[in-house]
Amino acid sequence: MTDHVVEHATCLGCGCACDDITVVVREDRIVEPERACSLGRLWFGTGAVPARVRTEGARDVPLASALDAAATLLRDAARPLVYLSADISCEAQRTAIAVADVLGAMLDSVTSGTAGTGVLAAQRRGRASATLGEVRNRADGVVFWGVDPAIRYPRFASRYAPDPVGLYIPAGRRGRVVMAIDVGTDRAPADADHRVAFTTDEEVTAIELTRAAVIGRGAGGGSDSLAERTRALADGLRGVRYLAIVVDGEPVAGRDPRRAEAMLRLVEALNGPTRCVLVTLRAGGNRSGADAVMTWQTGYPMAVDFLRGAPRYRPEDGAAAQLARGEIDTVLVVGSPLALPDEVRARLGAAGHRIAIGPRASESPYETDVAIDTGIAGIHEAGTATRMDDIPLPLRPALRVPSLCDTAATLRTLAARLVAGRAARRPEVA
Amino acid sequence: MTRLRITGGMVHDPANGIDGTVGDICIENGRIVATLPPDAPRLDARGLVVMPGGIDIHAHVASSSINQARRLLPEDHAGAPIAAPVLAHDDNGEVLIPRSGSGGVVPSTFTTGYRYAGLGYTTVFDAAVAPVSAREAHAQFDDTPIVDGGCYILMGNDALLHRQIAAGERERAREYVAWLLGVTRGYAIKVVNPGGIELWKRNVRAVGSLDDPVGDPRVTPRAIVETLADAATALGLPHPVHIHCNNLGLPGNVALTLDTMRALEGRRAHFTHLQFHAYGGAAGKWSSGARQITDYLATHPEASGDVGQVLFGNACTVTADGAVEYLLHASSGRKWVNVDVEVETGCGVVPYTYRDRAAVSALQWAIGLELFLLSPDPWRLVLSTDHPNGASFLSYPQLIRLLMDRSYRDAQLATVNQKLLAGSALADGIAREYSLNEIAIVTRAGPARLLGLTTKGHLGVGADADITLYAPDADRARMFETPRHVIKGGTLVVEEGQLRRAPAGARHHVRPTYDRAIERTVREFADRYFSVSLENYGA
Ligand code: SF4
Ligand SMILES: [Zn+2]
Repeated sequence: MTDHVVEHATCLGCGCACDDITVVVREDRIVEPERACSLGRLWFGTGAVPARVRTEGARDVPLASALDAAATLLRDAARPLVYLSADISCEAQRTAIAVADVLGAMLDSVTSGTAGTGVLAAQRRGRASATLGEVRNRADGVVFWGVDPAIRYPRFASRYAPDPVGLYIPAGRRGRVVMAIDVGTDRAPADADHRVAFTTDEEVTAIELTRAAVIGRGAGGGSDSLAERTRALADGLRGVRYLAIVVDGEPVAGRDPRRAEAMLRLVEALNGPTRCVLVTLRAGGNRSGADAVMTWQTGYPMAVDFLRGAPRYRPEDGAAAQLARGEIDTVLVVGSPLALPDEVRARLGAAGHRIAIGPRASESPYETDVAIDTGIAGIHEAGTATRMDDIPLPLRPALRVPSLCDTAATLRTLAARLVAGRAARRPEVA
Repeated sequence: MTRLRITGGMVHDPANGIDGTVGDICIENGRIVATLPPDAPRLDARGLVVMPGGIDIHAHVASSSINQARRLLPEDHAGAPIAAPVLAHDDNGEVLIPRSGSGGVVPSTFTTGYRYAGLGYTTVFDAAVAPVSAREAHAQFDDTPIVDGGCYILMGNDALLHRQIAAGERERAREYVAWLLGVTRGYAIKVVNPGGIELWKRNVRAVGSLDDPVGDPRVTPRAIVETLADAATALGLPHPVHIHCNNLGLPGNVALTLDTMRALEGRRAHFTHLQFHAYGGAAGKWSSGARQITDYLATHPEASGDVGQVLFGNACTVTADGAVEYLLHASSGRKWVNVDVEVETGCGVVPYTYRDRAAVSALQWAIGLELFLLSPDPWRLVLSTDHPNGASFLSYPQLIRLLMDRSYRDAQLATVNQKLLAGSALADGIAREYSLNEIAIVTRAGPARLLGLTTKGHLGVGADADITLYAPDADRARMFETPRHVIKGGTLVVEEGQLRRAPAGARHHVRPTYDRAIERTVREFADRYFSVSLENYGA
């Protein structure tokens, strides 16, 4: 298979998970991911990845010995951490969680260091939302709140909203009112129909005042500029039939952590007077898939501690905090080493041993005891990934590299070794 | 284990007319056979009650919506960390990793599988799978060990279906239904609040009548249920259309429920969690409509249902019926998740607590019991709690005790809020107690028959070797909570009360044939209005 074309491939360059990509392959290299945006092109690249299996001091070792070494390190660890990074399929995530469970390890994912505040707020408060296709088909009002999707989610506007024609929006962009809320220097799209600006300091109060105005508990005749702006905004929001408020779920520097919950309350309050849904933008690499899979296997979307033999939720004391305290002695990073949040990457050195299984593991920006290169989900590996709104999509890998390990299969072998080892140590009473 | 003779148990196999007769059951290669050589391994079942494995006809265990509920309940999981079971090592070489999990009202997937098996249940259907998320539902079932699974596919608010109805193309709708079931690997057609979810997306929260227009005047709840009931019949599906009626949970809704039943008079249809649709009266003056439902069932053999019993304690309401969850959130003040699902359906979640001191909770509890106790035919009105909506599946043993033990039931009745119970059948006194055989019908034989599962729910030759053995106990809750042995597909999964093996379950799905011309219709629609490529849609 040298020259070929894969249609309907799913891009995981961001959480939009565009699944209309035609990937053109020549001489085992991706030459063109048709319809992908610039970010998507970067994500696909040429598909060239290293295919090494390394242990400390040995450049290329058989997979079996690398897995033996990894199993030994993990089994001997007093406090192991399994960390789910980006670019792995839901199938690989499922197996990685099994590894953490068998080990009694701490388990965490990129979510807890990035979008975790929003996840926690939604767990406290609930969340009124919709899938992206519903927004496209129905939203006659779209608010971009402190985010211009063109930057980190380039095809959001053309695939979901506000541009496309929808079932109930036959006129496409012209059939929708677009409201831009600028927050500090975070500008919403330039071509909005209405624009309101808040400072970062004002933001949470502005959300709360807007909510108060929506439910008719506005501050009466308050005529200072914030009260006026939020009253006008509330009128605008109430005036559409089906409103989508789009926020960035990924970290935005300098934002008040109370923002997520305030926004959920506003969206909730807008249901009643009208219909309103929150769209939380998420980055790619199947990050949101990890939330879903961890939830169904453990009950929690991130930061799960198996130490006492069953899952416990430790969202306030996740991987980064435990690494910082030096409690973690061995880390298994599954997925792309480059996608780790700074707070985790910077602290990995505190652990005595590091094992990396994932795309470009052998090129991890930190020292590893064992590194096993695997394929990138969606480029080299099949399976499932989720879009930012939890819609599951199949992955259609364009490249097959025979020398490259498969992430899920590698983890399955590792888990089997760990189980066998455990049984040997703890013989079962007949 | 390829062969096993279960000897000397009291067999309850109502599908084969066996009611407590002492006899042997022979198993070979996962199926029940007539005889085995005398040297075959034996399981001594003397003194034990032997029944087919339980079948849950309606629960929420593996879908994107139940995962929304799981995610919303960390505080509930925190109270119930569940360690991995210690499983036996089998010789087949397969490495099975025993898994820990979380309990509570919406357990994690592995725990769900283990616990169903631990109750003697061997088959569970998820009653609400959105087609666009079917892939996730199957993945969750893949992580739900032991039990066989299956998905009911949500169709009653599908925009393409509504278009077909509006165009008077009910026969074409059938082709679409067949295509949809195949592409999602679904088992049955599910209708939730026909037309009402689409209306909720337009901020309309209740349906006035079966003839309310849903956008187009020709698209009405009546037209939707008729179209889908006929589709199930025409396609020869094993299970008829599975209907969650309009206005769930609203006082006075029994009138609309009966209208829906009458609209389908003469057609096969299954009406689910009828308790939630059997309320008379009006706001503040709720009353029981149970007898109207059971009277209808008595004279209409083509209709079937499950109860959707409420039990006191914590539950979590989760349904495609977004409108009802909005209303419940507004009235209870509890946290609320809503997900409008593109083109097809919706999803809502609100945690809820049924309190015996609360008038409406007590009435709901009583109505469920009345449905059971006034039921004209256990084969057609089977057991469910709409897990986790009315109660967790873990409370089935308690429910069985309420049905089998009048003194226990009456003692509980005396302690609940009486305000709305005056004049209800239960308050007037119902002497009926379910027999073991009737329990076997409402939990096994009946669901199997309604689902068209010919090799399940009975112990005749050729049936799947899904078998539960209970030690008789006057406390029926204790008896049904802790089966002595459970066999799934010939594997002894629960042995002497301990979960010992956890093989993967099978998936039940249908693949009806259809006129390929429908694929063009779907493609034209999908290209315009789906947000995923048609090639990537389904499961
Ligand atoms: S918008 Fe995101 S998913 Fe779509 S092509 Fe660009 S990077 Fe890929
Ligand atoms: Zn249900």
